[in-house]
Amino acid sequence: MRILVVEDEKKVASFLKKGLEEEHYAVDTAFDGEEGLYLAQISEYDLIILDIMLPKFDGMEILRRIRGNGSDVPILMLTAKDSTGDIISGLDSGSDDYLTKPFSFAELLARVRALLRRGMKEKTDVLSVSDLSLSTSTHQVKRGETKIELTPKEYALLEYFMRNPNRVLTRTLISEHVWDFHFDPSTNVVDVYVNYLRNKIDRGFDKKLIHTVRGSGYMIKDEP
Amino acid sequence: MFRNIRFKLTLWYIVILGIILSSFSTFLYFTLSRSLYKGIDVKIKSIAEVIGSSSTNPYSQYSFSNIDRVLEESFGWKPVTKFIQVLDESGRIGRKSDNLQHFQLPASIRALKNASQGKATFETIRAMGEYPLRMVTVPVIRRRHIISIVQVATSLEGVEEALNTLLLILWITVPSALVVASLGGLFLANKALKPVDEITRTARMITSKSLDQRIKLKKANDEIGRLAETFNDMISRLGGSFKQIRQFSADASHELRTPLTILKGEIEVGLRKRRRLEEYRNILNSNLEEINHMTQIVDDLLFLSKADMGEVHLQKQPINLTQLASEVHAQAKMIAMPKDITVRINKDSDVVVVGDRLRLRELLLNLVDNGVKYTPEGGEMKISLERDDGRIKLRVMDNGIGIAPDDQAHIFDRFFRVDKARSREGGGSGLGLSICKWIVEAHGGEISVESDLGKGSTFTVTLPVAPPNAKEMPEAKSISEDPTFQH
Repeated sequence: MRILVVEDEKKVASFLKKGLEEEHYAVDTAFDGEEGLYLAQISEYDLIILDIMLPKFDGMEILRRIRGNGSDVPILMLTAKDSTGDIISGLDSGSDDYLTKPFSFAELLARVRALLRRGMKEKTDVLSVSDLSLSTSTHQVKRGETKIELTPKEYALLEYFMRNPNRVLTRTLISEHVWDFHFDPSTNVVDVYVNYLRNKIDRGFDKKLIHTVRGSGYMIKDEP
Repeated sequence: MFRNIRFKLTLWYIVILGIILSSFSTFLYFTLSRSLYKGIDVKIKSIAEVIGSSSTNPYSQYSFSNIDRVLEESFGWKPVTKFIQVLDESGRIGRKSDNLQHFQLPASIRALKNASQGKATFETIRAMGEYPLRMVTVPVIRRRHIISIVQVATSLEGVEEALNTLLLILWITVPSALVVASLGGLFLANKALKPVDEITRTARMITSKSLDQRIKLKKANDEIGRLAETFNDMISRLGGSFKQIRQFSADASHELRTPLTILKGEIEVGLRKRRRLEEYRNILNSNLEEINHMTQIVDDLLFLSKADMGEVHLQKQPINLTQLASEVHAQAKMIAMPKDITVRINKDSDVVVVGDRLRLRELLLNLVDNGVKYTPEGGEMKISLERDDGRIKLRVMDNGIGIAPDDQAHIFDRFFRVDKARSREGGGSGLGLSICKWIVEAHGGEISVESDLGKGSTFTVTLPVAPPNAKEMPEAKSISEDPTFQH
């Protein structure tokens, strides 16, 4: 899952990036309104964390422009002012949630998970396809009763698959949602990681869950 | 009820009016009663004298024989309401008027005694009927001898009735006048005090959150109107200072919130898993930076709030400003070295000002620090000191990024920042120039800024020159450094 953090205070942006990456999210950061809006427009993010007070143009403006372009990406506002006026106008302009600074990082993570769950059938933090399950809060992956150890990248890839079951995911989609801005699309890294994942998820099980869709990409589904 | 001014006013009004009305009534009653009794006395005495003289008149054809006729002849009426009785010199009853019928008028010993001395006696007696009688006993003297005594009495019915009627009228009118007056007084007091209630109501509704309320009064040019106006002015001023305080605390909490967010976030993320020693060291270093930043904000805030309350005392003494500027210049070169900024100094002959050495040094360092912060690498700065028309002009110039004209007006405001991110990276509290302004003003001077965007800024401090007899003293060791004032 790929997250954009728009925050002018470099240290805040930096710990957010570090903390979120350690939770297996792919994170891009922008330090002003202009850069933030640019990144939001050229890439497909699963979530945007947006500071309200920003140089160039502020978070409200970014919010209005993103929503004006018809995007429904979940947006979490960070506000230093806890005046209800700001919060209300933020929510009215199309933000989905807010946190006031200083915030608890654990709470931020919980809200991020809740926002990413939005529109999905499961309302808990456990995703499952067939007998494969993944907990987005503890990052534990199980096939049946067998625990499966994954690297952060493999985990991120599996999470993306499991959030989009029965859907063909192209290499471009996968690279956009699992890798950050520095990903080089000319490599075959996606295929390599899908293979790693297959080795851990499907090897030794009769029922294969990850399927190759020839000429398009990959898909996770509960059928042979 | 008695804590209510309108009742107090009315009560006072009623008490005073009551005293006036009852004194007037008492006076009226007694004056009238006196004059009525006197009138009766005069009348009965004159009747008695007529009867007496007719009895002594040798030419009188009636000669006491028929009193009624005597009176009819003398006064033209029959004595229906007057009772007349004639006694001989020893007090025995002789003739009496017909209307007495079988009654007789009493002759008291005192009256007889007075009569024997030739004096008339007035008495009020209760002899017959429901009303008392007023009676005069007059001796009839002929050739120095008392030959008879005439008694004339008349009923006091008319007088008593008149007086009773008057009393009745007074008993009715005075209380009702008081009742009417008290209602009127209450009405007037109400009318006069209504605006006071309005003021009270408004005052009661005013809290720190509703300082935009005002007392609405139509007429303004009386005592109450002026009170309301004064009150409204006071609310405005209170509103102004509340707004300032609110803004200040909002700004202060905002300034503190950023380092707190960083501290909380970095520590929380740091604690989420086991890390390398180097990572912990980086987190702690960053935390220390934020703590230092917060300490500076808190110190500056404390200094400014102390200054606002007048608790910062200047240790004023003559100071060689040229020498101080040279010291700061040396320090400025060190501050500017990492950014490769050249700092020059342009000084006149020694100038002396009266001031607090520590604070003035603080002022200069703040200005230099500010200049370094907003001057790009390889830039130039200049400190200059000159006399100008009995004042000292101290300038700190840079060729840095400059300040937009709109922002120049606010540059000395607390927490004002042209660029939030940039000044935080420089480690400023957003209060440095406010402190500069306070120091300059506490020394009776002025501070101003001229700036061209992109070309640089010049901060000018104007200070009064020390009087000629002031000599610079060696740096006083006794000045205790204020621990809240370090940068």
